[in-house]
Amino acid sequence: MSWELLTVALLAGAANWCFRALPILARTGRATAGGWLGRFLSSTGPAAIGTLFVAAILPALTPELGRTLPAITGTLAVLGVYLARKSVVLATLAGAFVHGLTVWLLG
Amino acid sequence: MTEARPTFLDGLTASLPIVMGYFPISFSFGVAATRAGFTGIEATALSVIIYAGASQFLALALLSSGAPVLVSAFTLIAMNLRHLLYGPALMREAGEAAETRHAWAWAWGLTDEVFGQALGALARGQRFSEPSMFGLGLGAYAAWISGTIAGAYAGSGALEGWPAVNAGLGFMLPALFLALLLSILNRRQLPVIAVAGAVTVIATLTISATSGILLGMLAGAIAGVLRK
Repeated sequence: MSWELLTVALLAGAANWCFRALPILARTGRATAGGWLGRFLSSTGPAAIGTLFVAAILPALTPELGRTLPAITGTLAVLGVYLARKSVVLATLAGAFVHGLTVWLLG
Repeated sequence: MTEARPTFLDGLTASLPIVMGYFPISFSFGVAATRAGFTGIEATALSVIIYAGASQFLALALLSSGAPVLVSAFTLIAMNLRHLLYGPALMREAGEAAETRHAWAWAWGLTDEVFGQALGALARGQRFSEPSMFGLGLGAYAAWISGTIAGAYAGSGALEGWPAVNAGLGFMLPALFLALLLSILNRRQLPVIAVAGAVTVIATLTISATSGILLGMLAGAIAGVLRK
């Protein structure tokens, strides 16, 4: 195992543990509302998830129908199932299934 | 409100939908890692030590492109800043009397989906309990690690004859992000998400994909600060 990989993994993992556990152990959560830092932190989640979706879907948006159409049908499946069932897991699985099905139908 | 405190087994049962979602995503991570030239042990180590889906995929891109160690680590750390809010939000719902003696251990499992599931259960009137948090977190963590191992050792070869399955697994991550986005979407967050998305597109097309992610997140969060 390369030391670069281990170093990056340990640093990122340690930070993840700090982010997830320390605010609970410090019991500081009840004071996070208000202030610019509070607004920054509360916007970080939606901004991150929005960014990750755009970054993940961007490579599929090409003039090539074989790549774009499955991305469109998969996205519509996620939207439809989420609106119907309000379930993140079901919507994710439905999107992946419909994406794969479209690729199969396109041959 | 229900009377009994949920047990470890209750938490484990509640993790089943996450297990179903995590296994194929971590399987595709295992496949992607070996395709990028990492060994099965390295792929598994990333899942055990980092345990954050999107960061792990980004770690593959950064490490295989030879990005400096500190730059890579900082990028991955910045991606998970949102997790800072999960614990406080969960404990607010759990109430003042909620036990946190073992939070140093179960909080490690507080991913986006585990947080969502735990918060949803509290919103439906279930009581907070640490054993149930352990069950919920361990189910998800076990699925994440075993999916990675299966993907890394079954490898891309296992999927070569199944292009549609391969494509479906490849779409699991965008689908998960879109579903998570829908789950948190409200009128207040719309400008934040719009700014983040627009900046991601511009920075990805003009600079690089990694810059797109960092600048998009930063721009969205700053839009949240400037919002009245």
